[in-house]
Amino acid sequence: MAGPAIEIIGLEHRYDAEPVLRGIDLTIEHGEVFGFLGHNGAGKTTAVNILTTLITPTGGTARVCGHDVVANRDEVTRSIGYLPCEVRMYGHMTAAENLEFFAKLSGVADARAAVAETLAYLDGADLANRKVGSFSTGMRQRIGIAQAMLHRPKVLFLDEPTAGLDPVGVRQLRDTIRRLNSELGMTVFMNTHLLSEVAKVCTSIGVLNRGELIYKDSIEATIARFPDEASLEDIYVRMEDTAA
Amino acid sequence: MIATIASHQLLSLRRQRVFAVSMGVLVAVTVMAGILGWSSHRTIIGVYDEAVKLLATRGETAPPNPFLLKPTLSMLSNMVIYITLIGALVAIVIGHLSVGEDKATGIGRLIFSREVSRTDYVVGKLTSSAIVLAIGMVASALVSVSALLIVNKSMPSGGDLIRLIGFYGLSWLYLMVFALIGMVTVLLSHRRSLALLSALGVWLVVTFALPQFTSGLRPSTALNPIIDPVSTSQTFFKVTANARPYSVAEQFKAAAGRVLQTATAESGGATIVRILPIVGLFVLLTLAAIRLVHRHDFSRSNLGD
Repeated sequence: MAGPAIEIIGLEHRYDAEPVLRGIDLTIEHGEVFGFLGHNGAGKTTAVNILTTLITPTGGTARVCGHDVVANRDEVTRSIGYLPCEVRMYGHMTAAENLEFFAKLSGVADARAAVAETLAYLDGADLANRKVGSFSTGMRQRIGIAQAMLHRPKVLFLDEPTAGLDPVGVRQLRDTIRRLNSELGMTVFMNTHLLSEVAKVCTSIGVLNRGELIYKDSIEATIARFPDEASLEDIYVRMEDTAA
Repeated sequence: MIATIASHQLLSLRRQRVFAVSMGVLVAVTVMAGILGWSSHRTIIGVYDEAVKLLATRGETAPPNPFLLKPTLSMLSNMVIYITLIGALVAIVIGHLSVGEDKATGIGRLIFSREVSRTDYVVGKLTSSAIVLAIGMVASALVSVSALLIVNKSMPSGGDLIRLIGFYGLSWLYLMVFALIGMVTVLLSHRRSLALLSALGVWLVVTFALPQFTSGLRPSTALNPIIDPVSTSQTFFKVTANARPYSVAEQFKAAAGRVLQTATAESGGATIVRILPIVGLFVLLTLAAIRLVHRHDFSRSNLGD
C-alpha cells in the first residue's frame, strides 16, 4: 500500500481557548500496532476524535490511508473502524440487530452475512440473538470490536479498549488485536494506559504529554534505548518525568 | 442511508414498545371521540323522538330532526381536542426518543465515525417519526370511519372521506411539529430529563397559555350577538389580537374544525392561511434540528441521565 497508514503534520486542537494538541507530527506505517500513551487529559482521545473525523482540528493536517480527515471525510470513514472508550449500543436490541445497523451504515452489501462472519471470527456467534442490554463488559467489548471491523477497515482505532475488563477479558482482547493485525492486516492505533499490554501487543509507541508528542519509536528500539529501566512502565515514567 | 437510519429507528421504537403504546393511545382517543359523538347523537335523537311523540298527541307537526342538519363528521369534533392534548404528547415522546438515545449513550460517536451525513441522519430520524405518526393517523382514521359506519349505518360519503383524509393529514403535520420540538429540545439540553421537561413546557405554552393569551382573555368575542364590553382599541388587546395568527394550536383547531365542517364556514383561502403558521413552524424546526445536529459535538455526547 502506498504511503503511511496515518500521517499527522502539525496537528493542533483547542477546546474554546484551551490548547489540547500542540502541533503533533506522527507517522504510522501499515501493519503497525501503535500504542498511544499519555496521562489523562494529555490529548489522546482528542487525537483519535480527529482521526475518526468526529471533530475538525483547529490547525495542521491529518491523513488516514492517504485521505485528509477534513477534505476527504467519506474516504477516511470507509478506511477506518472505531471502538470508543465506553462501548454503548442499543440495549433493547440484539447484538445482530445492532451490528446489522452498523454494517449498513458502513456500506456493507450483505449486512447479515457480514455480521454472522464477524461474530464467528470473534468466537461470538452465541451472542447474536441476545439483547445487548444484558451483556457483561467483556461481551460488550467483543460486540464493540465486531462493529468496528464489520467492513474490514484498513485502520482500527481503539480508545482505551481494556477499560473495565477483567484479566481474562484483557487477554482475549490482546489475542483479538494480534489476530486482526496478523491475519487481516489491519493497522491498529490504540490509546491505552495499560503498559503491560502495550509491551505484549504493540509494535511501536508514542507518548503524548500535555498535547505534545514527546516520543515515538518501535518497542524494540525503546527498550534498547533505555537499558537501565526494568519495564516499559519505568521507561514511561522516566519520559514523563523528563518532560515535566 | 436515510432509509437505513429510519428503518433502524422504527425497529428501535418497536422494541421499546413505544410504537404499540402510541398506536394504543391514538386509537383509544379516537374510540373515545366516537363513543362521545355516538352518545351525544343518541341523546339528541331520543329527545327529538320524545318531542315528536308529544307534538303528535297534541296534533301538531314536528319540525325536521335538527341533528340531520348537522354535518356527519361533527360526531368526531372531540378528536381535534384529543390531537392537541394527547396526540401532541405522544409526538413529543417519539421525537425525543429518536435522537435522545444516540446522544445519551454515545452511539452518535459510532454513527458519525461512519460515512453518514448529519443531514441524512436528521432526515432519517424525522422520516421514522413521520411514519409512526402517519400509521397512528391511518389507524385513527379507520376507527373514525368504523364509528361513523356504526352510528349512521352507512358508509360516509366520498366528500366526508376526503374531509377525513384532510383532517388526519393536517393532524399529522401538527403532530410532526411536536415530534420536532421533542427532537430539538434533546439536542439543546445537557440532560435528558430537562429536555423532556422543556418539550412539555413548550406544549403547555402552545396548547394552553398562548390560546388563553390570544383569545381566552375575551371570551365574549366568541358570542356573536353580544357586544364585547372591552374596547378593542386598548393596546393590550391589540397585541393579543395581533398574536392570534401565530397561536398554532388555535389555528389548528380552527382549520381542523373547518375541514370537518364543525366550525363557522370561511373561504378555503382563509383556512389555508390558518395552516401556514403550522407549515412555517415545521420548516423552521426541521432546519433548526439539522443545524443543531451539524453543530453538535458527538465525540463528547453523553446526556447526564
